[in-house]
Amino acid sequence: MRRLPVYLLLDVSGSMLGEPIEAVKNGVQMMHSALRKDPYALESAFISVITFESKVSQVIPLTEVAQFQPPSLNAGGGTSLGTALQEVVNCANREVAKSTPEQKGDWKPLVFIMTDGAPTDNVEPGIAAFMAYKWGIVVACAAGQHADESILKRIAGENVVKLDTADSSSIAAFFKWVSSSISAGSKKIDEGGSEAGSLSELPPPPPEINLVK
Amino acid sequence: MTTIKTKAKDGTPVEFVYKDPMQGGVKDVYFAPDKSYVVAFFRKNPDIAGQERIEKLVGQYRKGIFEQAGGEYWKKLFCWPEKIVEYDGKIGMTVPAYQSHFFFGKQTSLAGAEKEGKWFASAKNFNRFVPAEEKGTLLSYLRICLLLSRAVRRLHAAGLAHSDLSYKNCLVDPSGGNACIIDIDGLVVPGLYPPDVVGTPDFIAPEVVSTLHLPVGDPNRKLPKRETDQHALSVLVYMYLFHRHPLRGRKVHDQEPDIQERLEMGEKALFIEHPQDKSNRPNLRENDKVCLPWVDINKTPYTMYGPLLKGLFELAFITGLHAPAQRPMAGDWETALVKTCDMLQPCQNSQCVKKWFVFDNTTKPTCPYCGTPYKGVLPVLDFYSTRNGKDYKPDNHRLMVYNNQYLYQWHVDRTVFPDEKLKPEHSKPVGYFAFHQGKWIFINQTLPAMKNLSTGEVVPVGKSVDLTEGLQLLLSPEATGRIVNVKIVKND
Repeated sequence: MRRLPVYLLLDVSGSMLGEPIEAVKNGVQMMHSALRKDPYALESAFISVITFESKVSQVIPLTEVAQFQPPSLNAGGGTSLGTALQEVVNCANREVAKSTPEQKGDWKPLVFIMTDGAPTDNVEPGIAAFMAYKWGIVVACAAGQHADESILKRIAGENVVKLDTADSSSIAAFFKWVSSSISAGSKKIDEGGSEAGSLSELPPPPPEINLVK
Repeated sequence: MTTIKTKAKDGTPVEFVYKDPMQGGVKDVYFAPDKSYVVAFFRKNPDIAGQERIEKLVGQYRKGIFEQAGGEYWKKLFCWPEKIVEYDGKIGMTVPAYQSHFFFGKQTSLAGAEKEGKWFASAKNFNRFVPAEEKGTLLSYLRICLLLSRAVRRLHAAGLAHSDLSYKNCLVDPSGGNACIIDIDGLVVPGLYPPDVVGTPDFIAPEVVSTLHLPVGDPNRKLPKRETDQHALSVLVYMYLFHRHPLRGRKVHDQEPDIQERLEMGEKALFIEHPQDKSNRPNLRENDKVCLPWVDINKTPYTMYGPLLKGLFELAFITGLHAPAQRPMAGDWETALVKTCDMLQPCQNSQCVKKWFVFDNTTKPTCPYCGTPYKGVLPVLDFYSTRNGKDYKPDNHRLMVYNNQYLYQWHVDRTVFPDEKLKPEHSKPVGYFAFHQGKWIFINQTLPAMKNLSTGEVVPVGKSVDLTEGLQLLLSPEATGRIVNVKIVKND
């Protein structure tokens, strides 16, 4: 059975301290409980969480929905987005099965990136590595006014969305949309396998989420 | 609460709570305050042809099916749009709410989730996540397939094609033996309303998948129609009975996932159980134990549900896979499934996950799911009927006998069939079978002129006859009445 890998890259830098990080924790929890009642996601989606502050760590390796446990998250430190992009490539290289002439591999991974600030590391090597990998759909979310949208555009092209404020209701709305996107993604791929990577393949975002033009 | 009170296009009142819609693929759905129906608004209003289509859907087509004799019967099988509503510049339809048995029970781990077909069509979901009390038995899956086949047969008889049959658009309730087709607004009237979707790709016919790259309007582009519904229905039946997809095997056509998908569902589609070409067998190593036994086609081959379904699976996935005209019709599935239900025998292991299995015509029948061999005497009844009043020929219909098995008028008379047209007086048993004092007997309850042909004696109402090897009973002397011939399988 082909798996649908899903990578969540979450910013847990110092600026996320307080309401934003609690909202992210809550969002991951909500996402998980929605996916646990979704037959498409249960069958094929596998989720990994990578957090980044000054340090980057894969807090949850690629795990099937039924076994997934929402991680505990603590905010503090800088915003090493470049290292995080490098890390998700390393993880995908290690975890995602490639097709061979004898055996079918996994579907192309979906990536959801959420950040509230500008990178504090050198992002160029990370962006270069990230762009060289063949992802399915990549969505980047700028949470609040301080995120660097131009860098997110370089990573996710048209698929950059924005929350006006990084408060609990808009972060909750984002994760709700992520879970319906994972469900739609596993449905779609299960069904059609069209993986053009465009945002139009996902459900329409709720009003709290604005598409960055 | 923002309850909107408005009027449908036909002038009748409509109410809905205009808040937090459920979002479908193309529609936003709002509940009526009493939740007895929903109002589904198109996010993007349909064009003129689309509007005309939904007008016909709630008008002419709905009336043609529901407002004729026996129309009530279909209300359980279709969730059919009823009225057109325009509000706030948006066009929508009222649709009956799903019946409560199509939601998982409050006591289960999936409380409140819809019982969409995907839960039951996937081995992983079925084995691991569907709560035990919601799994149903083999009989319930045969019944679900039967109801869906009947519903599709009715659409096709009306000249319509569904165009997007899939486990997403079929709610199924194995524990109660219910099924219902939803999302009917994509109906295709060949030659009149072209389809606006290509379908749901586990279910899209190979000729449609392999011509997806051509522009709409190209004469070679194949679009959904009755024959593609027939493919989708066959896939549905196979997936509900085997919890696996008939075309998703191990064969690699291309290392790029999207191209692989398009080839394995389209041009290069190949039945995973093709008797000669074995190159697309499921990969046992690739699938964890959680999918067993369904991923193992040696343990659960397509032949395991008897000769009638075997024949139709071959037509669907071997002969007719790339030859749409050869595919089984919905009515073929319906007839074969009714007869296959009669070929079931109960598994003697009370813990067996499927509870029933199809008699495999051997002298030592064994349950294929749990491996329990049948112990004891097993009568098998074969039916014969005549077309010329003299020669009785086999009807290809067999009834397995077990305690409290019933005989019905559709066994007695070859012109009676248990479908939506069955008369109420024919839905009652005419007799039953029992194991009594070490013998299998048939008790005649209502047959006025049943005759034991082996002795020439009439078996009056209220009397029984012992079932012995070679016994022949004339169930009715009418020209359309049948003879049964008894065979006894003994397994100690």
